Amino acid sequence: MPAGLLLYTTATPNGHKVTVFLEELKAAYGVEYDVEKIDISKNTQKEPWFIKLNPNGRIPVLVDRNRDNFVVFETAAILLYLQQFYDKDGKFGFDKEKDPNNYSELLQWIFFAHGGVGPMQGQSNHFHKYAPEDIPYAKKRYSEETKRLYGVLEIRLQDRDYLVGPGRGTYSIADINVIAWIRFHKIAGIESLDEWPRLKDWVERATSRPAFQEGVTIPK
Amino acid sequence: MSSGKQFTLHGGVTGPNPLKVAVVLEELGLEYDVVNINIRAGEQKNPEYLKLNPNGRVPTLVDHSNGDFTIWESDAILLYLVERYDKEHKLSVADADEKFKLIQWLFFQASGQGPYFGQAVWFMRYHHERLPSAVERYHKEILRVLGVLETVLSKQEWLVGGKLTVADISFITYVLARAVWPERKHGTHRRCSWNQMAIGWGLEGVEGGDVQKEFPNVYKWHQKLVSRPIVRKFLDIQAEAFRKLSESQAK
Repeated sequence: MPAGLLLYTTATPNGHKVTVFLEELKAAYGVEYDVEKIDISKNTQKEPWFIKLNPNGRIPVLVDRNRDNFVVFETAAILLYLQQFYDKDGKFGFDKEKDPNNYSELLQWIFFAHGGVGPMQGQSNHFHKYAPEDIPYAKKRYSEETKRLYGVLEIRLQDRDYLVGPGRGTYSIADINVIAWIRFHKIAGIESLDEWPRLKDWVERATSRPAFQEGVTIPK
Repeated sequence: MSSGKQFTLHGGVTGPNPLKVAVVLEELGLEYDVVNINIRAGEQKNPEYLKLNPNGRVPTLVDHSNGDFTIWESDAILLYLVERYDKEHKLSVADADEKFKLIQWLFFQASGQGPYFGQAVWFMRYHHERLPSAVERYHKEILRVLGVLETVLSKQEWLVGGKLTVADISFITYVLARAVWPERKHGTHRRCSWNQMAIGWGLEGVEGGDVQKEFPNVYKWHQKLVSRPIVRKFLDIQAEAFRKLSESQAK
């Protein structure tokens, strides 16, 4: 009997963001989900059937068969959607109506990572590993910007254990959203996280969670 | 320090991201003071500003009617404004599922359009040397993103809920400045004119870069947005700011 949630994905930082959270939801509440692996080296995600789901032709894409096959693309939007509908005890987020300021801070840090860390670290990956031509300026531009962004996170984590939430913060989708990217820092030309000790601790704390460890192995 | 206005908008109104927020504030009839920040002088990295926004970028909005609640990331600001101050859904949607579609499009704008168009502008306009493969990479991505929008807008008039929302507004200032001033010719004024912020200029001489012809539905959608009086007003302010800048640089 297929699970209600279906995720089209592959093993990239963006894919991992969602599979990690789905594993957290499974561990917390027994939420089940199916995965269909998309081969991006064959450009499956640009085929017409996939474009119908996501006109941007990118993974991951979520289809919620529990809710009339509602489709969500953009990883951060998927995380927010899953948190709203499947995190019934609000462990991984904040209530928009009852806790609007924390909810807004969650959104701010999610947008910061989604619009900053993802694309900039992604460009650094491209120019370090995938570009046909070696352009030292571009490699430096994007690895420096990625480091700057890590520095911003370091500031936030000075007296916090997690990005958002009262006091020292609570583990939420805001953390998952960006740690899934930081794990790949070496490809972006950033050899070690030692320069950002609070960030390094935070990454270790999150990635030692069983659900996190399982989530980054999916799809198998 | 209070002038009694409900909000303070840090970062001026002329950069592409601050402009979005100014448009939405005015469309919702909200009152705000503006604090200009000189990006060229690096004021956004001053310690005082970094206390408000550790990322050191513009805009940042402070809501004095909510205990001076501070918010940065332009699309997070738009969501904050419509959640709290748009109960009549003038620029937002009421349906729970449609709200997620709205969030989805804002994330696509924040990660797929803004940063890539920004890199295009950097390599075409600001970087001291011409790096053809970098320029080409970002040109191609602009065309791809316009293609995505064209696919969607060929079937529906607005991005979400069958109506204008902040999702549409979030795309404006990076999309199609040339569409607003069609009388500007290709190849003229490579230096410092205001529309060099946007892809209209950025696609000069690029194959497939005639937006009106290649992406007619995007063009129509954009025209509707920029013909709104409030949007028009801010684009004119932006144009004037760039004109002054170009004059001072020409000296």
